[in-house]
Amino acid sequence: MAQEAQIPALGFLTVVEDAEHGLFGGYLVLNLIGRPLEFHCTTPVKANRAQQILYGPTLAPYLYGEQIAQTLIRKGAVKPRAVFTDQAAVLAARQHVDVPLVLAVDESAPQANGETTRRIDPPQTVLKRFGWGRQPLAVDAASAADEQLVLDRLSDVAEDFDLLEPFGRIREAIAEASRN
Amino acid sequence: MNFWEPRDTYADPAIGPTPADAFSPAPDVLPPPEISPPEVISYSAAELAVPCDIYPLGMQAALQRAPRFKVRTAVLNAAAPKVVSIPISRAPVKVRSFLFPALTEALLAKERGQQQPPPPPKPQPKPATPSSEGGQARDTRRVRMRPPRDIVKLEDRLMYLLEPPVETWLARESLSFPFQPFPYQLEGIAFLYPRTMAVLADEMGLGKTMQAITSVRLLLHSREVSSVLLVCPKPLVSNWKREFALWAPEVPVVVIEGDQAKRRFQWLLPAPVKIANYELLQRDQELVLAPDRHFDLVVLDESQRIKNRGSTTSQIVRSISRNRSWALTGTPVENCAEDLIGIFEFLSPGYLGNHMTPRQLGDAASEHVLRRTKDKVLTDMPPRLFRDVEIDLGPEQRESYRLAEEEGVLRLTEMGDSATIQHVFELVLRLKQIANFDPATGESAKLDRLKADLEEVAASGRKAIVFSQWVWTLQRLAKELVAFNPLEYHGKIPPKKRDGIIEEFRNNPNRHVMLISYGAGGVGLNLQFSQYVFLFDRWWNPAIEDQAINRAHRIGAAGAVTVSRFLAVGTIEQRIDEILREKRELFETIFSGTEPGRKLGLTQEEVFGLFKLKCPTGPIKFAA
Repeated sequence: MAQEAQIPALGFLTVVEDAEHGLFGGYLVLNLIGRPLEFHCTTPVKANRAQQILYGPTLAPYLYGEQIAQTLIRKGAVKPRAVFTDQAAVLAARQHVDVPLVLAVDESAPQANGETTRRIDPPQTVLKRFGWGRQPLAVDAASAADEQLVLDRLSDVAEDFDLLEPFGRIREAIAEASRN
Repeated sequence: MNFWEPRDTYADPAIGPTPADAFSPAPDVLPPPEISPPEVISYSAAELAVPCDIYPLGMQAALQRAPRFKVRTAVLNAAAPKVVSIPISRAPVKVRSFLFPALTEALLAKERGQQQPPPPPKPQPKPATPSSEGGQARDTRRVRMRPPRDIVKLEDRLMYLLEPPVETWLARESLSFPFQPFPYQLEGIAFLYPRTMAVLADEMGLGKTMQAITSVRLLLHSREVSSVLLVCPKPLVSNWKREFALWAPEVPVVVIEGDQAKRRFQWLLPAPVKIANYELLQRDQELVLAPDRHFDLVVLDESQRIKNRGSTTSQIVRSISRNRSWALTGTPVENCAEDLIGIFEFLSPGYLGNHMTPRQLGDAASEHVLRRTKDKVLTDMPPRLFRDVEIDLGPEQRESYRLAEEEGVLRLTEMGDSATIQHVFELVLRLKQIANFDPATGESAKLDRLKADLEEVAASGRKAIVFSQWVWTLQRLAKELVAFNPLEYHGKIPPKKRDGIIEEFRNNPNRHVMLISYGAGGVGLNLQFSQYVFLFDRWWNPAIEDQAINRAHRIGAAGAVTVSRFLAVGTIEQRIDEILREKRELFETIFSGTEPGRKLGLTQEEVFGLFKLKCPTGPIKFAA
């Protein structure tokens, strides 16, 4: 892991799937007023045929969490108080990093196929759900102790800090970087 | 009968085989299945009267013999199956990393023992309970910064792209505002902030000043700049100082003024923002262009002042050492496309050229010019109601006008090729003055109409501003309109008295009219408490007229603003009005991408054509 500085910061990590190239991971570290401190993104990651067959339903947690998220978080120069993600599969990285990984649930996102509920956890992930203000959050049930840890670490963060907004920035940055 | 009995026991020739018999197993080969006892079905002889013949063939004995099998053994010599192992390789994931200035600052501040970032707003108690109500109420229309195309380094592009939405940033930095900015103003800030070259060309009254100040404020807070020079017309210096105190109270501002020794000292002060006027730059040329003088950002207000590339002012501002160049103007094109080219010579010399068509100019400039109009961004702002008031001159005034025109045209005709465009302009001005007031009798059809309109304005307790291009016209109006308690604001009013006059007009309910010259009151005045604007005579240039109108029609206007454009029928004013309409078309061409309907500038032929005169040779640009 890169040398980590202790600066009040929050991490945001998401993975963008590109039909042609594969998966792009993006990791943005913000200070507590929302300004960017550092940004890391991966080159495209694509599972080969053997991985697709052999990992089966565990392929997503492997690629999103073990491969991409773990690598990105380890690249950070700043150790954030917590890393938020909008994809449950990323939580699989929690067992490989020593920072709480939290799923920020966007319940206002439009639902596909007219669904009225949104499935946030892949079948193999058991989530421990909680909330920060009106923002629904969840951690991997295997790391249930993270819930209190995260709430403590968010105690001095402005309550209107939008934990979902940074993911839009990451997606735009990934698109910008991939164009270069 | 029982079907499971030996066949020969039910081969009753009298009955014969039943239909079910064909599907029954041979009882002597296979044991009867373990099923429930067969059901006994009885038929009467009458029912089963099927004829049947039995022949002895000896098959029964053959079926009772045990089968005999022969066994043959084959040896298989196949080798043991091979095992193929597929490694689940874990190729290392490549990562591109970008570190931003805020991180460096935070680390440095940490080393210094300072708290970074600045303390966020005091948090409110937050219930840590799961919610089924959905996420936080999110405004998805937030304004984000976009890196301009001329920023090519990926790290720089990402730096701007990853900044938070403008409103979030302003709120987090605890930057207070006297008023909540409009969304389009936030977009203006997002436009200016990342740009090294920018023209904010919003229509008058949309708050260019606030947008520029807030952008400067953010740049100072983020330490992207530390020294800013703002240049504006002299009458607007105090206005800028006030606006900085209003929109960026924590930012120290130094106004360059006073005698030379004082100014020399002020230029050396390490203040983050310095305000200077155009006129002063000429006097302080050596100071502002000193080799060790450098600014991170130079902002030109009313940048149409440098549209003439050959002017001393333009040459000086273009020579100032700087990293970023912003221009603020409500009239990027006053007369012709060259005005815009002149402004861009300050931003990026050679970026625009005379060889470009209006459409090419518009395309090239679009990345760096932000132009909004009230109609598009302030949909809830009170409307401007235009009235073209066509006024018939009275008999005496008409006769004076006719004589003057005939005499003038005759004189120009007699001059032949020696007539210059200056001669034509002199005649135009003379005729316009007569259209205002008859010099022989003092008759004025316009004045009569103005009085009538002002009576209605005063009776309703409202206020009006009246524009003219001549001070003497305004002074004459002041005498004639004394019943309305008018105030004057023009070049003959000492600058020190002007602010007091504005305040008097604003606060005294008995002051219903202010008489303003286009030159003195065209820019920088906030008269949004006026509901009526009268253009007693017309300026050459629609942009100047718009500036005048927008003194009243701007943010804060309480109601609709009625603009009355006086036009003396059958005079030179009507012919000029046609030219003004064409100039508006030019502006629309450059800023909306449509092709022009005609040539851009007013040619010498067209100026002479005002009087149906034959033009001397050679084109000349219109000089208004």
